[in-house]
Amino acid sequence: MLASVAADFYWLGRYAERAEQTARLLRHQLARLPDTPAVELARGWRAIYQSLGQAPPAQPQGAGEAEAFLEVDAYTLAGSLIEETANPGSVLACWDAARENGRRVRPHLPLRMWTSLNQGFLWLRDSDFATAWAASPAALVNESIDRLRFFAGVVEAMMPRDDGWRFLELGRFVERLQHQVALLDTWRASSDVEDGTPGLRWADLLRVCSAYEFFCRTHSMTVDRDAALVFLIRNPALPRSLRFAVQRIDALLVGIDPGGARYPLAAPHRAALRIGAALEVSTARGQGRPQWEAVLQSLAAQCRTLHDFAIATYVDYSAAGGPSS
Amino acid sequence: MSRTRPVACPAGSGAFSSYDLDGAFYDEMFAPDGSVRSAARRINSVLAAAEPAELRMVQDLVNRRFLHEGITFTVLGDDKVSEQIIPIDCVPRIVAADEWKHIERGLKQRLRALNLFLEDIYHRGQSIRDKVVPADLVLGCPQYRTEMRGLKVPHGVYVAVCGTDVVRTSDGFAVLEDNLRVPSGVSYMLACRTAMKGAFPSVYREHGVREVSEYPERLHATLASLAPSAEDPRAALLTPGRCNSAYYEHAFLAGEMGIDLVEGRDLVMRDGFLCARSIAGMRRIDVLYRRIDDDFLDPVTFRSDSLLGVAGLFHAYRVGNLVLANAPGTGVADDKSLYAYVPQIIRYFLDEEPILANVETHLCREPDALSYTLANLKELVVKEVGGSGGYGMLVGPHASAQERSEYADRIRANPANFIAQPTLALSRAGCFVDGRIEPRHVDLRPFVLQGRREMHVVPGGLCRVALRRGSLVVNSSQGGGCKDLWVLAEANRGGEDDACSPA
Repeated sequence: MLASVAADFYWLGRYAERAEQTARLLRHQLARLPDTPAVELARGWRAIYQSLGQAPPAQPQGAGEAEAFLEVDAYTLAGSLIEETANPGSVLACWDAARENGRRVRPHLPLRMWTSLNQGFLWLRDSDFATAWAASPAALVNESIDRLRFFAGVVEAMMPRDDGWRFLELGRFVERLQHQVALLDTWRASSDVEDGTPGLRWADLLRVCSAYEFFCRTHSMTVDRDAALVFLIRNPALPRSLRFAVQRIDALLVGIDPGGARYPLAAPHRAALRIGAALEVSTARGQGRPQWEAVLQSLAAQCRTLHDFAIATYVDYSAAGGPSS
Repeated sequence: MSRTRPVACPAGSGAFSSYDLDGAFYDEMFAPDGSVRSAARRINSVLAAAEPAELRMVQDLVNRRFLHEGITFTVLGDDKVSEQIIPIDCVPRIVAADEWKHIERGLKQRLRALNLFLEDIYHRGQSIRDKVVPADLVLGCPQYRTEMRGLKVPHGVYVAVCGTDVVRTSDGFAVLEDNLRVPSGVSYMLACRTAMKGAFPSVYREHGVREVSEYPERLHATLASLAPSAEDPRAALLTPGRCNSAYYEHAFLAGEMGIDLVEGRDLVMRDGFLCARSIAGMRRIDVLYRRIDDDFLDPVTFRSDSLLGVAGLFHAYRVGNLVLANAPGTGVADDKSLYAYVPQIIRYFLDEEPILANVETHLCREPDALSYTLANLKELVVKEVGGSGGYGMLVGPHASAQERSEYADRIRANPANFIAQPTLALSRAGCFVDGRIEPRHVDLRPFVLQGRREMHVVPGGLCRVALRRGSLVVNSSQGGGCKDLWVLAEANRGGEDDACSPA
């Protein structure tokens, strides 16, 4: 497979996942609009924007970042993350970017896969946000998630398990890993506030990650910080846990470079295994209470390294070296 | 589409009540007296039996299919790139088997002669010495590549893929233009066909239409046949990238042929061979179906500011490590000035009379032709010799006096840059427009493949249509669209009725 094609698949996976993550965060927040106090809503908006690495779309003069989320209305805050093409992190912009990557690898895509990606984008692009918002603030987001999941289903059902699929899935899970680490760190930071105001609820974090019911079934109805974080980091059966993502990345990298499963391991594979080991060690029982801030920030750095290694090893390697066939 | 007993419907009645026949133009469906041409009888009866709502539904279906499948062309604006679907008309144009046989023979003859001409001008130059074509027209042509002089092109195939623009007037078929560099449009031909098969499944089957779907396979076989070694040659398609107007086509063809779609950034020269950067190292390429202009192929040999090709590519070509399709320098043979000499070229190299006529062409570089052109601008179509896509041309009868005056100044400033042709009475075919079937002007671009031994003319082509009423410009960039072209198989005459007279 051409290196540039692999890169396009990788970014297609990343952008599709990013669009879905943003939409999932919004779905949770928008469902709370009718009956949640303004202060709590503002904290939720701030967590969403922070976990996505974004500043508020409008900051009233003289207002701090936290106040901005209190003063800017939900329509603006949601609109910026859904349909604002000038915001490269909006659902629409991510979908567009995924589609652009899809266009470049069209010779490798089953037709249905391309049409589901294209139709989804055209639908969102041509939707009128104001009208959709008036009908139901969450409708557009819910439909977006459904269409993105439909695309994921078409990938699952139709794509041959070749290098194209591996890079697409690699992109998806690297993105998920990075995002989940950022999300956990945002929740941690928000829950650590010491000014007496209640922080973000850990049960909500589990809901955002589609893990609440599963947590309740396997643990208890009472959710505390350590239990929630350990669950979202270590549980191998939870699709949005860090361990789940790392295990998928590990398997994908072995598939991409079968020789890379043997010594000496390829750099991306080493990086993935290091992250896996860090997850185990940092949350192992008997180690005392984890220093969550240090743990999560170290993981964030390692995720960036994993991405850099993947690109440097398979895409942007030196043309002077390397084998030829 | 409802199934009723086929009854042909003459022009001016029933579903064709808005169809105004004009004796000045050849009509693809109706004879001058309004009766239905025999090849078009079956499709005519189907259209006659259909409700406008049904046709609208078919049209919507086809449009939606194009939109969802992203069958688009790219338009470069001042500050952004936008995608547009090519307008497609749901009424197919029919070409009878014997008519197609004539076109096919003519196209093969033309391409054979042009390949021989190209070999000659880059080697012995006998045709120039024998004054078949003026030396300055060839050697002064911007598309003439001195780098190609004396270079042995594999199997003498300069042009492996050709798309020739053919028009029909009351006098018969004629060639309007030869596209010998990077002809485009074949993907729209294939997409139209797929869409129309879906829209008119039973009609399509009953008509006995010749298949075009094997084109990618044939193109791949053509490219492979030109490879330096016969052992599993590896081909790739070189595209300028997604901003190119034909990017959809590049991706489509690469996918259908199962070859890599590469850009300049994917390519590396190694030990004199062209390689593509894969995830597991460099991979050699034997045949490059390039869809970029000569200028951009190799910054060392051609334009030094090109980022679309790769440095050293031409060297690999020169030493025989790589085949390029089409060869650099073929543009000299499809230059609009040189076009006027193609009949002489055919006679000189093949000792045959041209099967397909040329359109009368006045080269403004010649004083008499210049005077004639300036005196008759109102009746002529004037084109820049290096122009394409319908840009930079003047359609005299449709231009204002001021536009003609400004254009005349441009011609006087550089006469050699212009040719003039009579305003052609392009044939018209029925199109579904605004809920009615009305005639619109059409042309045709069939595609010809020349491999090591075989030449193949695809039984079909891109049928372009000027969708604006009265317009003669069929280019998609100028408001044109396309429609499916059905070439009937030998045994099928298009319908069982023997005659149908006007009401």
